[in-house]
Amino acid sequence: MKYLRSIGFACGMLAAVVAGAASAVSPARAAEPTKLRVSIIPINDVTPLFAAIKQGYFADEGITIDTSPSAGGATGIPGLVAGSFDIVYGNVVSMLLAAQQGIDIRVVAPGTKIETPENDTSALVVRADSGIRTGKDLEGKTVGVNTRNNVIWLYARAWIKATGGDPDKVTYKEIPHPQMEDALRQKQVDAGYMVIPYVALATAKPEFTKIGHPYSAVQLGVDVGQYLTTSKFLAEHPQTAEKFVRALRRGIEWYNANRGKPELLEIVSGFTRINVDLLSRIQMSPSPLKVDPPQIEKTMKLMIENKLLKGPIDVKPLVANTAL
Amino acid sequence: MSERVLSRAVGLLSLATVAVLWECAARYGLVNRVLLPPPSAIAAALRDLIADGDVLRPLLHTVYLFVIGYGVACILGIAVGLWMGCSPFADGLLEPLVELLRPIPKSALVPALFLFLGIGMATMVTIIAFAAVFPVLINTYQGVRGIDPVLLETARTFRCSRWTTLRAVILPAAMPAILTGMKVALSLGIVLAILAEMLAGLDGLGFVILDTQRAFQTQQMYAWIAVLAAFGAGLSLLFDKIEQIAVPWRGR
Amino acid sequence: MTDRSIPSQVVPSPAAPAADGARSWLRHSRRLNGVLLVVALLVLWEVSARLGWANSANWPPVSAVFVALLQGLISGELLQLLASTLMRTASGYVIGCGAGVALGLLLGTNRWARYVLKPIVEVLRPIPAPAIVPPLILFLGVDNALKIFVISLACFFPVFLNTLAGVAGVDDVLLQTARTFRVSARKTLLSVVLPAALPMIAAGMRTATGIALVVTVIAEMIAGSAGLGYYIIQMQYALRPEAMYAAVICLAITGYLLNRAVLIAEARLIPWLGK
Repeated sequence: MKYLRSIGFACGMLAAVVAGAASAVSPARAAEPTKLRVSIIPINDVTPLFAAIKQGYFADEGITIDTSPSAGGATGIPGLVAGSFDIVYGNVVSMLLAAQQGIDIRVVAPGTKIETPENDTSALVVRADSGIRTGKDLEGKTVGVNTRNNVIWLYARAWIKATGGDPDKVTYKEIPHPQMEDALRQKQVDAGYMVIPYVALATAKPEFTKIGHPYSAVQLGVDVGQYLTTSKFLAEHPQTAEKFVRALRRGIEWYNANRGKPELLEIVSGFTRINVDLLSRIQMSPSPLKVDPPQIEKTMKLMIENKLLKGPIDVKPLVANTAL
Repeated sequence: MSERVLSRAVGLLSLATVAVLWECAARYGLVNRVLLPPPSAIAAALRDLIADGDVLRPLLHTVYLFVIGYGVACILGIAVGLWMGCSPFADGLLEPLVELLRPIPKSALVPALFLFLGIGMATMVTIIAFAAVFPVLINTYQGVRGIDPVLLETARTFRCSRWTTLRAVILPAAMPAILTGMKVALSLGIVLAILAEMLAGLDGLGFVILDTQRAFQTQQMYAWIAVLAAFGAGLSLLFDKIEQIAVPWRGR
Repeated sequence: MTDRSIPSQVVPSPAAPAADGARSWLRHSRRLNGVLLVVALLVLWEVSARLGWANSANWPPVSAVFVALLQGLISGELLQLLASTLMRTASGYVIGCGAGVALGLLLGTNRWARYVLKPIVEVLRPIPAPAIVPPLILFLGVDNALKIFVISLACFFPVFLNTLAGVAGVDDVLLQTARTFRVSARKTLLSVVLPAALPMIAAGMRTATGIALVVTVIAEMIAGSAGLGYYIIQMQYALRPEAMYAAVICLAITGYLLNRAVLIAEARLIPWLGK
């Protein structure tokens, strides 16, 4: 074969390139569990984690936390599956969707819970002059949600049903949180399910008004988000998981005691990059110390009702003891 | 066996081998079935999509977006490229603007344009057109600039009108360059269409791929990616055919 | 071939024979129009934001954007982000181009390799870069491994296809001459095939340059936590649009410089390529 050696040469080149590529991109993950990579969403919900970092609670336990933000928020669990993260902050619907597909996932610590109506900062917002007040009024209209087929979409549908509307007669449009106000003003949507800080900024203006708080109206006590990990991680590093949750709980307590104080605003501004003066206008809700499995079951039933899940899932084994 | 038949046969065999290896790996647990379902499961998901007709809405959404965006880009790119190539005034007027906008990685503009224009079809078409217009424009311009001056002189000698010169001399001479630009614009346009659908989440292949991934429905996700690949391949084949008709003298 | 910049030297059209001095003056006055147009558009931007025509918090005046750009550059934040983005772009580019040339040479010189591997490449090629990110996240995570892989894949295809075409286009006479002189296969590849295919390879690499930065930003946006692509999304969520537009400008300047650098490098390294 006349080109035999040239093939050898080309293969050699290819091998060198691939080897170079492999060494360049091989993820540098240390096996020792003193450093945890945590995926977060840059919203107020994860402030206790940052408070615990700032107050040195994780250092007290001998672990360091490397946070990795994901603004879109959709890469947390996929990143956990692929091994990029040890722990991710995720919402209850994503967690149940993953569990249904057989992905190894466990709730390791509490995240966000709506315990009283006053603490439900998220809201469905409409133009004040639109005349829309109930789910019935929304039939044939368009509702903006950050992600379809996910937690906000689910509770928007449930609220529409609870207030006399047919959720299937409403169109849902994906609008990222920061653009919801513009989308409402420009009449691309008739209502928007907004979260803080965006909801506070929008409803401070007379042109917008809140018509409902779907989380608290539909399911008071709902566990919206949790810290998740894999059962593999829990089995291999039970003590590290306990240390993480212990430090996080101290962070939650500190956060609950210091809500609205300038020191806390600095922390929030640090990871959200939102200006402090803007944050000072925003109500911060308390954080839960434990996860409530019956609430997750309620969410699961809502998901079945709205065809997000094919059938029931056994929730109890999904929640690790550390979270209770 | 002729060369052509042999290459086809070996190629099919090679693809089949990959599929069989993948199937076995997935079936016998060498790879996580949730993450990488076997080809048979993906094929089943694909068949369901097509049989139910579910495939149509997202596909048509993407096609619709792409065709309008790409069409606008081609018309605008050729028109402005011709104008800049033929008129020194237009060249001077628009060159700085084009030079300013062209090097922006268009993907970076997607969030910016959503902020500016709001989320909707108009914005998505704008993004696709904006990304696809520059290769067409630049290539048209260079095609016109590269025309042999003798040709233009000849046209003048024969007292051709400006319109006739444009239609009969400049356009055919610049056509190969224009088509090269349109081809680059084609792949760039699809990339931006998919990205815009992912970030805007109204509908379309980009949206369903991201949506099925977020729900961890990987079989459906791969099925949708297959649909998208078929769409991309179909467009590229169609383009080659058009190119053969439009520039028959450019051998392959 | 594709993304070549407009030559700054405007070729005098045969219709306008004029004295050198007058022509250069004309050219400058013409470009002046263009600069004026750009300035007018920027003024329009500023005025529209100041007077609230857009009525949106997401439409900052251009002056605020330039202030944010300056602040970002002085504090070093933008430069740091840019460096991390460029590191990814460069790694992906080098790996993609290297693999493209290597596989292109292999498939170009060996027909069995071509029969076996070309269909696989052809099946993968029409999948647009953003679409492969969601499945790949499940395997490679969200870190550099994913991003660099996606960038290299996007750079691979144009380089590979052009190398293949370049090798196929090598003059048979050249190869026969090499064989007549009993030049070794390896030497033939290095000193006959490679140089002859180089212009095509270079064209492929130029296409890849344009793609690399676009795809880097896409990967950083979809699977983000680092780089300018993520910063753009982050600033969008942090309600700081001026910082977002500043990052876009930063990327635009980078794109421009990158394109220039490639053109200069090409002119230096492949003098026989010509224009």
